[in-house]
Amino acid sequence: MLWYKSWLETRWRFVIGLVLLVFSAMSTVFTYPEVLRLISAAPAPDLGGALGRRVTETLSLARDFRGYVWSQWFRQNLLQMWGIFAVLLGTGGLVSQASGGGAIFTLSLPASRSRLLGVRAATALAELLVLALVPPLLLPLLSAGIGQSYAVGDALVHGACLFVAGTMFFSFTFFLSTVFADVWRPALIVLCLATVLGLFDLILHDVLPFSVVRLMSGESYFRTGGLPWVGLLASVAVSAGALYAASRNIARRDF
Amino acid sequence: MANQPVIEAAGLCKHYGEVEALRGLDLQVPAGSICGFLGRNGAGKTTALKVLLGMARPTSGAARVFGLPAQDQAASVEIRRRTGFVSDEKDLYDYMTVAEMIRFTAPFFPRWRADLETRYLRRFELPPDRRVKALSRGMRTKLALLLALCRGAELLILDEPTSGLDPAMTEEVLQALVAHAAGEEMTVFFSSHQIAEIEQIADRVVIIDRGRTVVSGGLDDLKDRFRRVQLVFDREAPDATFRAPGVARVRRKGRVLSVLSSAGAQDILDEAHGLNPVSVDVAPVTLKEIFLETIAVEE
Repeated sequence: MLWYKSWLETRWRFVIGLVLLVFSAMSTVFTYPEVLRLISAAPAPDLGGALGRRVTETLSLARDFRGYVWSQWFRQNLLQMWGIFAVLLGTGGLVSQASGGGAIFTLSLPASRSRLLGVRAATALAELLVLALVPPLLLPLLSAGIGQSYAVGDALVHGACLFVAGTMFFSFTFFLSTVFADVWRPALIVLCLATVLGLFDLILHDVLPFSVVRLMSGESYFRTGGLPWVGLLASVAVSAGALYAASRNIARRDF
Repeated sequence: MANQPVIEAAGLCKHYGEVEALRGLDLQVPAGSICGFLGRNGAGKTTALKVLLGMARPTSGAARVFGLPAQDQAASVEIRRRTGFVSDEKDLYDYMTVAEMIRFTAPFFPRWRADLETRYLRRFELPPDRRVKALSRGMRTKLALLLALCRGAELLILDEPTSGLDPAMTEEVLQALVAHAAGEEMTVFFSSHQIAEIEQIADRVVIIDRGRTVVSGGLDDLKDRFRRVQLVFDREAPDATFRAPGVARVRRKGRVLSVLSSAGAQDILDEAHGLNPVSVDVAPVTLKEIFLETIAVEE
């Protein structure tokens, strides 16, 4: 029944996220013919600077459907929107409910705190997995509607990279939600952190040896076909550490 | 079994930073009793109840419920499995309906009483399809009580169960509690700052003040033991100190010296004759007087 409770508490965030991400996938695919027409009609620009190089590369990649989907959706729209929902699903829980109501009843049940926390985390992670896999898996279907094709394998790999690497943002928000009693501070802190990391990736893309944005977008898979195993494993370790810290924090906390 | 304590606490201390919520609380609640936990607002009642249920950890001292250490996480799960609890805030899940709250809670308790669930739903006139957030304070209290009573628990811990209720609703809740406790042979430990409530349903009382137990015992026993000895003098009352055991409070006002004893009056009377009062009067005291006098000692 704890699963049911966690589902009730997070379902609207999940459903809204799913609808938005599916809509985003549809709009990305169905605007491609128009994008292709405009790119073909315009001369290729030669822009300087980090941002200029990114724009030039994006335009270049858009001449190919796979490149367009990756640069426009996996690297930008999906990554940003999914990241926001990862943060939103990480907020809340026992500590914020202790000030808003409901936590004392939950704590009076014969369930350990680690179980309460584990079920809450597992529910949100399952929802995030759906958000990371379902919209990408629609791409092969939607692509057929505009006479293009997109490989199911590519969709799965990019969705999996997004989930595994992006879970760090969820886990960090989840941890901060055991520190702060309101739902906004954890979300704002992690969104600020994500924005800074995104800017670093944009400006220092060629210099940085490691970037969570590159991991989430599955850039190495897109460019070379290889999976960033080390980065993904490191992400799993960081997420597990944050979730463990959250469980320790809840275990020692007084309500 | 009848005299074995269900709840025991010794020297329980709980600090929240600089704030000392509990300062050496001692508790003994025998099985089968209805024990009132009396204290002013902020005396430490809620903190003590949270410690018993494993929601807060004591800074020092120990608490045991059913003989299990409350500060041990695994043991506290077992304590909560055997205990019904109603919090002061009656905080339930606003987004659930009454029926959903019941469906959610029941599977946690292997001895959930479906027969009582049906009975209390009808008796409390709880609308199953109404969301918790749409319930009045009284209805929330009744739902919280239903969820606690149907657990098939051996112990009921209630934190200010009637706070915020009108007199009619208070009476209804208290009657339900007494009837349930009598029928199910369970132990009830409930906090309150309403002395009348405790006198109405409790057979034992623990009075705490500033995180410390100041009086504890059977209600009838306390009323038997506590006596007020009033000495009137034909002059200014002497500034006397009594060596008799159980002197809880001595008040001097003009020609009157008033002594509250927690151990009968005889020893005080023996001492008082040496002071040559013109009259001596021994009177029983009410629980209200015991409460007010014992917490006043701390002022």
